Amino acid sequence: MGRMAFLKMSADKQDTLLKMLVLAVCCILSFSVRLFSVLRFESVIHEFDPYFNYRTTRYLAEKGFYDFHNWFDDTAWYPLGRIIGGTIYPGLMVTAAAFYNVLHYFNITIDIRNMCVFLAPMFSSFTTIVTYHLTKQLSNSGAGLVAAAFMSVVPGYISRSVAGSYDNEGIAIFCMLFTYTLWIKSVKTGSVFWAVLCSVAYFYMVSSWGGYVFLINLIPIHVLACIVTGRYSHKIYVAYTTVYSVGTILSMQISFVGFQPVQTSEHMGALGVFGLCQIVSFINFLRARLSSAHFAILWQTMLYIVGTIFIGAVGFLTLSGKIAPWTGRFYSLLDPSYAKNNIPIIASVSEHQPTTWSSFYFDLQMLVFMFPVGLYVCFKNLKDYNLFIILYGVTSMYFAAVMVRLMLVLAPVMCILAGIGVNHVLTTYMKNLDSVAQKDKKGRTKSDNSYPMRNEVATGVVVMMTIFLSLFASHSVWVTSEAYSSPSIVLSARGGDGGRIIFDDFREAYYWLRHNTPENSKVMSWWDYGYQITAMANRTILVDNNTWNNTHISRVGQAMASTEDKAYEIMRELDVDYVLVIFGGLTGYSSDDINKFLWMVRIGGSTDRGAHIKESDYYTPSGEFRVDSEGSQVLQNCMMYKMCYYRFGQVYTEQNKPTGYDRVRNAEIGNKDFELDVLDEAYTTEHWIVRIYKVKDLDNRGNPRT
Amino acid sequence: MNAIKGSLILFIIGLFCHTASPKTKQEVLQEKVHQLMEWSNRRTVIQMGGSKFANYVKSKPRNYSVIVMFTALNPKRGCSVCQEASDEFTILANSYRFSPAYSNSLFFGVVDFDDGQDIFRTLGLNSAPAFIHFPAKGKRKAVDTYDIQRYGFHADNIAKWMAERTEIVVRIFRPPNYMGTVVLVLLFSLAGGLLYVRRNSLDFFYNKTFWGVLSIFIVLGMTSGQMWNHIRGPPYYHRNPQNGAIHYIHGSSQGQLVAETHLVMLINAAIVVGFALLSEVHNPEMEVSKRRVFAIGGLVMVVFFFSLLISVFRRKYQSYPYSLLIR
Repeated sequence: MGRMAFLKMSADKQDTLLKMLVLAVCCILSFSVRLFSVLRFESVIHEFDPYFNYRTTRYLAEKGFYDFHNWFDDTAWYPLGRIIGGTIYPGLMVTAAAFYNVLHYFNITIDIRNMCVFLAPMFSSFTTIVTYHLTKQLSNSGAGLVAAAFMSVVPGYISRSVAGSYDNEGIAIFCMLFTYTLWIKSVKTGSVFWAVLCSVAYFYMVSSWGGYVFLINLIPIHVLACIVTGRYSHKIYVAYTTVYSVGTILSMQISFVGFQPVQTSEHMGALGVFGLCQIVSFINFLRARLSSAHFAILWQTMLYIVGTIFIGAVGFLTLSGKIAPWTGRFYSLLDPSYAKNNIPIIASVSEHQPTTWSSFYFDLQMLVFMFPVGLYVCFKNLKDYNLFIILYGVTSMYFAAVMVRLMLVLAPVMCILAGIGVNHVLTTYMKNLDSVAQKDKKGRTKSDNSYPMRNEVATGVVVMMTIFLSLFASHSVWVTSEAYSSPSIVLSARGGDGGRIIFDDFREAYYWLRHNTPENSKVMSWWDYGYQITAMANRTILVDNNTWNNTHISRVGQAMASTEDKAYEIMRELDVDYVLVIFGGLTGYSSDDINKFLWMVRIGGSTDRGAHIKESDYYTPSGEFRVDSEGSQVLQNCMMYKMCYYRFGQVYTEQNKPTGYDRVRNAEIGNKDFELDVLDEAYTTEHWIVRIYKVKDLDNRGNPRT
Repeated sequence: MNAIKGSLILFIIGLFCHTASPKTKQEVLQEKVHQLMEWSNRRTVIQMGGSKFANYVKSKPRNYSVIVMFTALNPKRGCSVCQEASDEFTILANSYRFSPAYSNSLFFGVVDFDDGQDIFRTLGLNSAPAFIHFPAKGKRKAVDTYDIQRYGFHADNIAKWMAERTEIVVRIFRPPNYMGTVVLVLLFSLAGGLLYVRRNSLDFFYNKTFWGVLSIFIVLGMTSGQMWNHIRGPPYYHRNPQNGAIHYIHGSSQGQLVAETHLVMLINAAIVVGFALLSEVHNPEMEVSKRRVFAIGGLVMVVFFFSLLISVFRRKYQSYPYSLLIR
């Protein structure tokens, strides 16, 4: 019966129904492929930064927007505190809280944590739909469907939007593509309505991610390219002036952005193109009114005057410091070797590394070569709006090659252009299949546009594309499942019998802190775990992942790297009640505090008060970092070593190995028998991954205990 | 009489010895410092051969310390970092020369491997460049040898080490680098000149084939990791020191060799050309006889090179489960 109804529909309706079906499948797919980690573990927030976002969202949902905006957080960076409301991009939290409130209004009582966990997959479904519309604007709906299908599973985007990775990028890509779609729409129509909508979308983008700078530079470049190639028109004028003025004013409403859009060099390109638009339009106006001789005189005088004024103004503003110099991160994009030479802290972060070809292949697979094919198709049929996607493609290509993190910005355009490419190939050859079939009926009379074995070749191409596409799908799912679906807060390993062992030590420790310590106690740990402790244990911490105060972090580093009596002074000074360390020696968890310890030493020794801490003291004479009996004595008597290896000397960890065998460093520890003078062991988790110590109070006479 | 004579002679000798020996020591020292000052005024880093090194650095008395760079600057020694290290060292020496801390208590010297192989041998050096501090007083310790492996040879780091060893703090002053500006100005004037000369025929600027080829070339370059090569500077291929086997493909997905990126770029380009052939088949201006060749050629190219790409990737990522045609 249903089938009959389908056949009765007109071709148009069938077409729409099919498109909606395909899109719906893409949406469901993009949501469900991101759920690996939820199914394997449970619905948890991943990693470090998402915990901060989660905590702020909870605050926003409970207290309301004004309290959130004025929030001074006194539980982080003790005793300094941190202003939160004005120093973050609030888009993500506001989005999650808004969904939460709407659902609660309809009495769907979803937990705020689940809202946060599933926000990124949900937004990637939206992204899929937006990709379809953007590609449809640029090419046709067939390409749109292919691009949407690519977008739903492309690993480069999944890496940042799996369930639980509750971070800005999760919604920012949606905002970015949405803004682009509306921009193309307003360029095509030249209507103020679409342009205003575009600036509202831009506002949303600004509120959610610092990467909006890419967007506000790409749109002016598009306009500039249109002017240079003689494609400039009133439509572009209306679209750009509206988007720029409304969008800039809106973006300045975000308190973290503030006056940056009119002051920093990153935004000056947009302003310059805005001015250029006015000039070009004015020139066009004059040219229509004046004779050509008069116009030539006017043109030359104006050119000199304006040029001088412009250079003078820019020079003056730069010298007087009104225009902030370009930030280091931005420089490192323009000159790839800048970061390596000048900013070691940028160079040291793995997200800021350049991209190898294998990671391009890993994240994009067949898109790597379908992307140039799409470019080729676009160049063959060049339009104003095609120019945009070409510029987007080439610029983001460059950025992604410089910094592996920006693969995220490249992935959507890869999908779009590859979609256009695949669509082009498939439509040409699909048509061949059809026409041959028709010709067979007519008895093979026509041969104008044909060649021998046309049908066979067409079949071959279609079969090949099918194989490629299914390979892409399985590759993407494999990559997602293998590489991008571990929450890193819950660890898993293969046991000796082949079964899976779950290490849930982090949460165990954080919940212990939450339930067994006084509410106002201060916990000292290395900064990596700051966000997690505040979010899950609800205790005051000294330093966290927002590394804004280097001296404070350095002080903590000094405490960890000093001997017990020195460390006790520092801990008394900082009013520390508990110390938390991460130790992987028993389980073989390699990113523990001993492996991070050299950074603590370096950062600790980088300030004046830590001048006595020298990195070379922690190495053996031959320059090795060893924990066994040949290791440096300074290392074996420092706080971090003692806290990690306390009582470890009595434990057997592996067969045929002595007691106290560290499974990460593969060595028997050097200092086995020691007692702690200033600390009490308060709690050690099941697999010893987290160890918590209580700082002893002064003794009854008020003397320290060393 | 004889006895008196003898004692007088003895006395004279004794007097002579008594007065002469401290004076000569002082004089020798003064002379040495004077000589070193003269040299270092001429060139801040003093070039040292075997005898100079023995006289001024190795032998006592000394009331000055010397920081010596041991290097091999001769191009046939093939030490590529030596030149860089030498430049940094010169920057440090010059910064010291023109700083308020400049005095006659510290000198900079350089010993080239080709001038003093025996010095290298006696100091037990088997790699260049090396920086060693010879202190004025006391014996040379392990920390007097600068650890290049750990700190690199950036002038700031050497200065930090120097401050630690000699307590002379020098702020590094680099001669400003005008190279970038000059190149930029040159480029701009070239482009401007070109535009001015050809101002009546700017067609090439509007030629979309030109731009199309350019952007596809950029994309192929970037996706094959040329930017990574530019920043990291890996070798072209890798020779296994044990058995001399040459590898063109890096064994892990963390790194890559230049040869392999070129191969990948060629493969990608071939696939794109294959697709371009496939789409050109339906260009109405083309002869019918060419069409079949184009169509089948394109199809074969695409399938073959994609299989090749996957197999190259499998070499780097051993657990990758997929393959096509070629294993």
